Amino acid sequence: MTDSLLSRRALMRYGAYGAGAAALAGVAAGWDRLTAADIPGRDDGSLVVATLGSAFNPEAQRALRDGFREVHPDIRIRINPVQAYDWSDFFSKILTQIAAGTAPDLVYVATEGVQLFAQRLGVPLDRWAKRDAAELRTYFADVHPSLVESMMYEGSLHQLPVEFNAADMYLNSRVLERAGADLPDDDWTHDDFTTLLRAMKRSNGDRFTPYFWTNRLWGGVVPWLFANDTNLLTESKAPGGDWLWNSFYPEAQRRGRGGGYRWTTPLADSDRVAEVYDYLSSLIQEDLCTRPEGGDGRNLVGVFSTGRVGVTPAGGFWAGGLHEAGMKPADYDVRYFPRRRTRRHQFGAAGYAMLRTSKMRDEAWEFIKYTARKDVMTQLFAANQTTPARRSMVDEARYRETGPAHWQVFYDTLDKIPTTGPIPAPPQVNEVEQLLIKHTGTALASPGAVRPALRRLQGDLEKAMEREV
Amino acid sequence: MTNTEIRPVGPEPARTRRSRRNRGNRGTGPTRKASESTAATTIRTRGTRLLAVLFLAPTVVGIVVFTVVPIVGSVVLSFFQWDVIDDPRWAGAANYREILTDSTVLVSFRNTLVFMVLAVALQLLIALVLAIAVNGRMPKWLRSVFRSAFFFPLVLSAASISVVMKYLFNQDFGPVNWLLGTVGIPSVPWLTSENGAMAAVVLAYVWQQFGFSFLLFVGGLNNIPKEVHEAASLDGASGVRKHLAITLPLLSPTLLVASVVGIINALQVFEQPYVLTAGGPGDSTRTVVMVIYETAFEQLRFGEASAVGVLLFALIMAVTALQFRLSRRYVHYQ
Repeated sequence: MTDSLLSRRALMRYGAYGAGAAALAGVAAGWDRLTAADIPGRDDGSLVVATLGSAFNPEAQRALRDGFREVHPDIRIRINPVQAYDWSDFFSKILTQIAAGTAPDLVYVATEGVQLFAQRLGVPLDRWAKRDAAELRTYFADVHPSLVESMMYEGSLHQLPVEFNAADMYLNSRVLERAGADLPDDDWTHDDFTTLLRAMKRSNGDRFTPYFWTNRLWGGVVPWLFANDTNLLTESKAPGGDWLWNSFYPEAQRRGRGGGYRWTTPLADSDRVAEVYDYLSSLIQEDLCTRPEGGDGRNLVGVFSTGRVGVTPAGGFWAGGLHEAGMKPADYDVRYFPRRRTRRHQFGAAGYAMLRTSKMRDEAWEFIKYTARKDVMTQLFAANQTTPARRSMVDEARYRETGPAHWQVFYDTLDKIPTTGPIPAPPQVNEVEQLLIKHTGTALASPGAVRPALRRLQGDLEKAMEREV
Repeated sequence: MTNTEIRPVGPEPARTRRSRRNRGNRGTGPTRKASESTAATTIRTRGTRLLAVLFLAPTVVGIVVFTVVPIVGSVVLSFFQWDVIDDPRWAGAANYREILTDSTVLVSFRNTLVFMVLAVALQLLIALVLAIAVNGRMPKWLRSVFRSAFFFPLVLSAASISVVMKYLFNQDFGPVNWLLGTVGIPSVPWLTSENGAMAAVVLAYVWQQFGFSFLLFVGGLNNIPKEVHEAASLDGASGVRKHLAITLPLLSPTLLVASVVGIINALQVFEQPYVLTAGGPGDSTRTVVMVIYETAFEQLRFGEASAVGVLLFALIMAVTALQFRLSRRYVHYQ
């Protein structure tokens, strides 16, 4: 026990420390100091546009920014390219920015995130689209209504699609030649597909994989589900949206359109879904394709261009990638996905979503309109890294250097197969995709694993869909 | 310099406390001299103490701000539902009930423990064998080359290493299976079977991490007096016998540090399974930190993710405490 004198002294000393600390804190609080807000470009009144990375064609990104500045010199703009592995990763990073209080005004969002952003973060574009209807008429006339409908949520338009990619089939010409096979017909079936894979396997040796596919929402099992006239979740249309269809699309094109897609009850344990998994499982057992976890798009261009893979599903974005890998237009070609019960294809589209947190909504709308202009899209998508949403841009000149010969397939997947629709992407899309990937891996591990895995997928999807996002 | 002056921290000796009591006595002679000397010592001690506090303060502030506050925040958040966008809502123990009945969470804990055991055991074994080998007779420059080479992977990004590993382990096109094929071993489904995927994740992790334990062991081996080994040699002990009877016991404090750090790191593994296998096939390589990331940033359930984080924190604390408890029996200090 210490004596009272020491305690008093100690008390005085600690009191002095406390007073000193308080004085310091007071000085610090009153000091006109630098904060995070002083970082150049932050909170400087710029319109902030978050895009997915700038790895591909950064010049085009700069041109987009500079071009917008020329047209709207009164609007300060900052492009914020967010590096991400995939759309899910990108959305996570955007949400982190929002949580940190540095939300952008506009975010480039693909089908995977349209409903998530629309439901929780987005602003409907209806009033601006109605106001500037005259200006937008040429745009809508050039864009397939399915793409626009995929950007609607509960009757409101949330984005103007600027690009899309449908899942068509790329075929390596050299591999076809070695197999003694011709390019398949437009109307080929999944049986024709299996026969072709077997022929490729016979003529290309052990270290060759006829079909390469990835395990994810886009380009994975879903196109096979669509071709079998089923889906992961029941699909219906929200009411509303008449204002848009009546304003911009002729009768024939607006028939059956609604206010955007609704994906609700899971269908994973249905017979048609099981049929698809059984089929894919049989291809794996026969060594005609990769296991789903083995597929990774990052290595795909390399193995396809060197002839170690015969067929793979991809969209127009591959034309640019294969060209970069040194493939000539004649080295490969593209066909529709093989038909089963239907010829329905899947696609994913993308455009700019306006966030509720934005204080520059009119300026943001001007940017959205600007990016939908044909001259801007032509400049932005010069490298064929995607399929432009405008039909008139998908022409012979675009694919003369990069190929493929049947480039018409890209837009015809929408025009000639009107049932073609977006991948199932409800607001719970991240969890849905994660569950799909996980249980697809288990389902295709062995022939007897399909049904138990699909039952578990069904249960988990039901739980996810009941959960509020 | 007196003995008192080199005692900067710790409880003041009784002599000093007694001297303070006598401060009121301002007499002359030996008592006054002693009093002045003690006063000077106290001032110096205070100065040293203040200096120590000043040096330690930034680190303590850093730990409080970047470790203690997030831990407390995480514990608090684990009782709320929060999706980043809307305000948090009180959930009570619902998040804990939810995660303790979630098969994915439970499997992730099992996977993490399996991973920890495999990875730490392999990492320590490889590091120890290589450290003993490098510590043997070899030119100094060659020793430096090995030390740098073994440590080098540690400074690389785990994510980028995992991308390369994913290519190496690819069943259809990967060089690893190609190499195995050249000696007649059939293609191994590294990333597409449950056991293969866990093996690939462990190998990728160990390859990157063993350099740290290796460096610790090299330091520890240098501290073992050569005379002990020489005496054992004179007694006719074999090389293996010397390592088992001398090297390992004397290295046990280093082994403890390496295993504690190794286990803490392994329980937090994320990048390798996330990039290599995305947790698959099925849930076979999904780890706890992956579940935290997916639940929080992909499913926007920050409350549940925090609850999983709290459980992981408790697990790490428990395992570390157990290690220190066991160390009393197995660790020998010279």
